[in-house]
Amino acid sequence: MKVKVIVSILVFLFFGFTLAGCSTVGKVREEKLQIRIAEQYGLAYAPVQIMKEKKLIEKYLPEIEITWRQLGNTAAIREAMLAGELDVGFMAIPPFLIGWDKGMEWKIACGLSSSPVGLVVNKDNIKSIQDFTPEDRIALPQPGSVQHILLSLASEKLWGDPSRLDNLLVTLGHPDGMNALLAQREVSAHFTTPPYLFKELENPGMHQILDGREAMGEEFTFIVGVTTAELYQDQPKVYDAFLRALEEAVNFMDKNPVETVDILAEAYQIEQEELLKYLEHPDMAYSLEVKGVMKFADFMQKNDYIKREPANLEEVLWDRNDK
Amino acid sequence: MGNDLKDEEDNFRDRAVTIRLRSVSKYYQSSQATLRVLDNIDLDIYQGEILAILGPSGCGKTTLLRQIAGFDHRESGSLLMDGQEIVKPEVKRIMIFQDFNQLFPWKTVIQNVVYPLQVNSIGESDAANNEIALQYLKLVELSGFEDSYPHQLSGGMKQKAAMARALTLKPKVLLMDEPFGSLDALTRISLQNLLLKVWRETGVTIVFVTHDIQEAVILSDRIAVMGRGTVGIKKVIPNLLDRPRVVGVAGYAEIYGYVYSLMDINSER
Amino acid sequence: MTNKDSSRNKIKTRLFWITIILITWEIMAKSGAFPEAIFPSLLDIARALGDSVVSGEILLQTGFSLVLILEGFLISLLAAILMSSLAVSNKVFNGLVDTLTAIAHPLPGIALLPLIIIWFGTGTLSIIVIIVHSVIWPMILNIMTGFRAISPVYKEAGLNFGLNHFRIIKDIMIPASLPYVLSGMRIGWARAWRALISAEMIFGAVGLKGGLGWYIFKQRVFMDTPGMFAGLFVIVLIGIIVEDYVFAAFEERTVKKWGMI
Ligand SMILES: Nc1ncnc2c1ncn2[C@@H]1O[C@H](COP(=O)(O)OP(=O)(O)O)[C@@H](O)[C@H]1O
Ligand SMILES: [Mg+2]
Repeated sequence: MKVKVIVSILVFLFFGFTLAGCSTVGKVREEKLQIRIAEQYGLAYAPVQIMKEKKLIEKYLPEIEITWRQLGNTAAIREAMLAGELDVGFMAIPPFLIGWDKGMEWKIACGLSSSPVGLVVNKDNIKSIQDFTPEDRIALPQPGSVQHILLSLASEKLWGDPSRLDNLLVTLGHPDGMNALLAQREVSAHFTTPPYLFKELENPGMHQILDGREAMGEEFTFIVGVTTAELYQDQPKVYDAFLRALEEAVNFMDKNPVETVDILAEAYQIEQEELLKYLEHPDMAYSLEVKGVMKFADFMQKNDYIKREPANLEEVLWDRNDK
Repeated sequence: MGNDLKDEEDNFRDRAVTIRLRSVSKYYQSSQATLRVLDNIDLDIYQGEILAILGPSGCGKTTLLRQIAGFDHRESGSLLMDGQEIVKPEVKRIMIFQDFNQLFPWKTVIQNVVYPLQVNSIGESDAANNEIALQYLKLVELSGFEDSYPHQLSGGMKQKAAMARALTLKPKVLLMDEPFGSLDALTRISLQNLLLKVWRETGVTIVFVTHDIQEAVILSDRIAVMGRGTVGIKKVIPNLLDRPRVVGVAGYAEIYGYVYSLMDINSER
Repeated sequence: MTNKDSSRNKIKTRLFWITIILITWEIMAKSGAFPEAIFPSLLDIARALGDSVVSGEILLQTGFSLVLILEGFLISLLAAILMSSLAVSNKVFNGLVDTLTAIAHPLPGIALLPLIIIWFGTGTLSIIVIIVHSVIWPMILNIMTGFRAISPVYKEAGLNFGLNHFRIIKDIMIPASLPYVLSGMRIGWARAWRALISAEMIFGAVGLKGGLGWYIFKQRVFMDTPGMFAGLFVIVLIGIIVEDYVFAAFEERTVKKWGMI
């Protein structure tokens, strides 16, 4: 009996440490030319799609092995990067900062896009965020998302209280959020991005009461590319190829609008005309420049969304020349 | 001796008939054939008697009893109780099943016995119903087990409780389908004696199905013998032995032998 | 007596293994093999749990979830009993219930979520709809199986005492099928709980505070891993309480006492 118990404990501990061992072994991975990227759909991620379709990373590093992973949302991408399953993810600045604050070893590699972000309401009597009543519900992707932080920024500006509207929030993915808004039930507002933003505004009775830039008070990068320290430090060639490929993708979009629309219409299953309209929207821009990080960090730290704040941009942005 | 019995049957001629079956037929349809379990059965049941229905397994005893109870549809024939056609089960004919598990397991013994009284709003109050139930539990010698649940009782006690529950509604006729069939021999004798006591004290008419010749002889006033296969009622034999009866009293052997001969036991395959 | 002994033994075995698991956990957390965000130490988890209990947040949200689940559960139970009763009373209705169950039972509530949002919005009503959907079909299946398994003797005895159809169902069929109703309730509870947590994680806060699923989701998006474990701990705790105390106690007082199982 005693022996049995001891043996089972030993077996149990053995498995526990094997598990722990596995992950340590994973850490000393030798440099293999490979990169694992989270693929996401949406206009804000267009250059990533171009980079994939035109095989631009391969162009700079022909022997590279690329894995494209599809994950549901930012939280899942972040968790996959934390688990060491992904090297690159694209997301908005606030979710990145939350991970950084929790000690994740990652930094921003580049900007990707700026995009219109808008708060659409389905009630005529709501003209600004001041007009929300306790019965209204505001749908957005999740707490801690850029939409949530933008709304908090606007609330702070208006009332000095960033969490004033937090009790009205309903977390819904973009498609469900749109359905809920159009259904005109308890959800009376939706904070969203194109194409959902444009589609919603095409419906009668819908109007926008707040946009991202207005809330932020300055221009900011909507989506940034984030990579792990592992990729940056252990595989500088891959990191470099990735950045160059992305840069080329942005330039390609600029120079070959027709082919761009072809590729994206196919990938996103959107009508070409519609897509063109979205791409030509003045607020839709693609660039590797990163804007707005410190403002987000400052605001989020002051209001307890994160505990520490980067002293300077270098703390959260990989330096392209320091290898 | 055959003649003696014939004469004795005349003793019943002027007794009141409670239930009268005329040309009752009941078939079971299977995929290949029609099983004519009851085919034109005639039978009179006299008020206050104990009528044993005796026959080998599968001859249709249960089918016949269920017809009398009114549980099943029949193909043809008439079945009258006090001049009225029997079409559904009624409280004036209460069935006691062979299955020991006929008491409701979620009720205590007393709750089981009280339940029919409540359903039929017999007593003025719950307390009155309780009084009645206690009386009957005493009659069947089950005092002290009022608050037990059925699963805590032995088979014999369960059948006693079922008798108490059946009697509370003062039925005119008790229909009993091999109620003691699965009991050990000693318990069976004690329950037979109990049944006779209950019968004397309540005067209820009893139709008692059994496959045990001895049980039929000990209990009954008349024995309806059903034959092997589905040949219906072969003969109804009066049983006028003096009560109380025990195995081996004067006349016991004759009647036992006569019934035995009717059952053509040796013709079994 | 042996019954009590074996249950005490069960608790002992459980405590033993829980201790081993916790010790292994702590050793691994402290070994530094995993980042803290993946494998927080027990102390951090306990602190997160303590904080949210003190602030009342987790209690409020758990209460919110429990109220919803109870509402949904009771509605389902009553509706399932009603529908099963109608089904045994009427051939046409039996066909309908059978068809509905065959269609709806295999559908996970979460798969219906987009539809439910369009039809019922994103409020508590939708959550209740999902819970009811998760509970009612297994419940009906179990009750119908229970009804079919009832010894005909009970019903015939009832008929003999002059019961009408309604009372046969109420006084005989329902208590007689209680073991099946109970196992339906167990399955239903597990499914309702799962549906609720997932729906809350997808919908976010419905009502003012939101429930336990929302709590966990919030910890997730803010990468508060100890907080996530605190939420999971509460779920496990409730699961054990409901299974070992509520259901087991109910069973002890009914079907076990009656010798029906
Ligand atoms: N519901 C039923 N359907 C078909 N056949 C039946 C049914 N009930 C009884 N039988 C058949 O009818 C015959 C008589 O049965 P039963 O009355 O139960 O006999 P007994 O009670 O004398 O043993 C048997 O052959 C039995 O198989
Ligand atoms: Mg029989």
